[in-house]
Amino acid sequence: MSIGGTSSGIVQRAIADVHPPRKSKPTGRRSVGPGKLVLALVVLYLLIPLGATLWFGLDTGHGIDFSIFGRTFSDPDFSQTLLTSLELALGATILAVALVTPTAYWVQLRIPRARPLLDFLTLVPFAVPAIILAVGLLQEYSGTASPLINFLSLGLVPVLSNNLNIVSTPPLLVCAYVIIALPFVYRPIDNSLRAINTTVLTEAAYSLGSGWWRTFLTVILPNIWPGIISAALLTFSTVMGEFTIAQLFSIYTFPIFLNGVGQEDPHRAALLSILSFIFTLVCVLGIILLVRRRPGGAGKDGQVEIAAAR
Amino acid sequence: MAFLELEDITKYFGRNTAVDHINLAVEQGEFLTLLGPSGCGKTTILRMIAGFETPSEGNILLDGEDITTRAASKRPMGMVFQSYALFPHLTAEQNIAFGMEIKHLPKEVIKRRCAELLELVGLSDKGRSFAHQLSGGQQQRIALARALAVEPKVLLLDEPLSALDAKVRVSLRNEIRRIQQQLKMTAIYVTHDQEEALAISDRIAVMAKGRIEQLDQPEEVYSNPRTIFAASFVGSSNQFHGVLTSAAEGLCQAEHYTLHVPPQQTLQNGERVLVLVRPEEVTFRPDTEGAEYHVDSTGNQLPGVIELRTFLGPFTRFHVRVEKDTTLTADLPSQQAHDYFVAQHVVLAFPPEVCQVLPLDAHETELEKLAETETV
Repeated sequence: MSIGGTSSGIVQRAIADVHPPRKSKPTGRRSVGPGKLVLALVVLYLLIPLGATLWFGLDTGHGIDFSIFGRTFSDPDFSQTLLTSLELALGATILAVALVTPTAYWVQLRIPRARPLLDFLTLVPFAVPAIILAVGLLQEYSGTASPLINFLSLGLVPVLSNNLNIVSTPPLLVCAYVIIALPFVYRPIDNSLRAINTTVLTEAAYSLGSGWWRTFLTVILPNIWPGIISAALLTFSTVMGEFTIAQLFSIYTFPIFLNGVGQEDPHRAALLSILSFIFTLVCVLGIILLVRRRPGGAGKDGQVEIAAAR
Repeated sequence: MAFLELEDITKYFGRNTAVDHINLAVEQGEFLTLLGPSGCGKTTILRMIAGFETPSEGNILLDGEDITTRAASKRPMGMVFQSYALFPHLTAEQNIAFGMEIKHLPKEVIKRRCAELLELVGLSDKGRSFAHQLSGGQQQRIALARALAVEPKVLLLDEPLSALDAKVRVSLRNEIRRIQQQLKMTAIYVTHDQEEALAISDRIAVMAKGRIEQLDQPEEVYSNPRTIFAASFVGSSNQFHGVLTSAAEGLCQAEHYTLHVPPQQTLQNGERVLVLVRPEEVTFRPDTEGAEYHVDSTGNQLPGVIELRTFLGPFTRFHVRVEKDTTLTADLPSQQAHDYFVAQHVVLAFPPEVCQVLPLDAHETELEKLAETETV
């Protein structure tokens, strides 16, 4: 509203940031501070392309045409590829979380000195382009693996590629996705493990007669749940939109279907990308709601903050 | 054979020797405190008993059974941590039930024991609270109840009061002692707080640099320290470096004075010694002008000037400068302290019987410095 109100708005916001649990005093008037303005701009920045894409998808040149929905949904490839991508995403998410969580816990507990190494290893996938990863996997598992790889994998690669025909199969693709997802999975889980007093909680559980697995499942897991959820969300959405490796593996996933459609009918492709966006959003919100409903979830967090602010 | 025995326990961390050939026997129902500065190995000993560390050498025997390499979860020990370590996702009651559920006790038994234990620690109304809804003292009470729930043979307490306010510390300390005596629980308590150790223990093991300096009842540790480290670390004391001139008569030549000390049997004439006097053993009177003061067979008398007066509640501590480079401390009951003021000339006096004489060798000197830096 008034320009005079803006600077006090900043100060209030800054105070509110320092002491999040304390409610800022009611000022009597609601001024539109620069914070809200920026927020509005960001929302517009995010929503305009989505809206424009939706518009483009519906407007095929003869005004808005909703029949395009029918044509899109009735395409058998649509549901089939969506299902494939969903399966891959779920598989990769479950495998990645199941592999990384106990590993991160074990390293934190037993060899905390090795943590920098794990930090580095989980960052490597960022540095390796997806195409290199895909080509490498295809080459090694198609039976032409180099002796070095055979040696480094302790003979696992030749055994797998000779006995099972896994090259270009969904299971191998899931494994490739786990590699891509490593940074997204490890970081939030490791952060959660650092945030709770992992070592002492573990020792407390041990002294009460709990073994390693029980401690992990009943003490550690419930307390790093938020980290696991964000790991799962990041992995899930990454895999849902992955194109390169699936293409090289010749597995017909939703992004590839989307790309194909885009070649013939850009309007339908626009609509599909909006649909896939909404679909992923619904999945993500669903998982978040699932977490919130856990006993002592949301309400507890607020109180933890208050305790910390004291 | 004692209930819990440590036989020649040693623990190396890399090149450091954290615990250096410790032998320790704890009787059933005894409250033993490991007291020492940080890095003296006391926590490492506790962690080896708990099973969180494995000794590099030596054996741990519980009730005659060798448990040196047994997994922590298989040992009948209850542990209380400095940081409480309550499971944040469980209520107080669920925390207490955790160990009993692992033992597969019947539900009714668990419920009843939880109620009993909550009552024992005086928090019957907090069973449904989460850790973050409890104060530090309350959290530590719940942690104590949780450790007791599994009916351990030995209760291990790792600086359980260090994170608490002074007032809570004292009340919870008394509570721990009361519960330990009520249950006749064998307890090993680790602390760096000498006052705490003196108040709570049956016996105290004063530790420095991975070794036990003295293992005695609190009264003995305080009034009859065996080593200079024990003397300096436990309580405060005035110290005189000197040479024993006559062991038989009890004469010691300090830098500025000849001190009268009890006759010494084990020490030789000419030996370098440290003479210790507790502040509460030092009395003083106003220095009336012209009066003669002297060091005679009736005791030690030293003239000085009051430099600092510190009111400590029941008693008042005076820092009295007796030489350019020497100040002594003397404690007076506060009722008697009114007559004295800063810059007043006084004569300090203490009888020979209150003087502790300890031999001074290189090792001791080093430890003495350690104790001083820790107690400051």
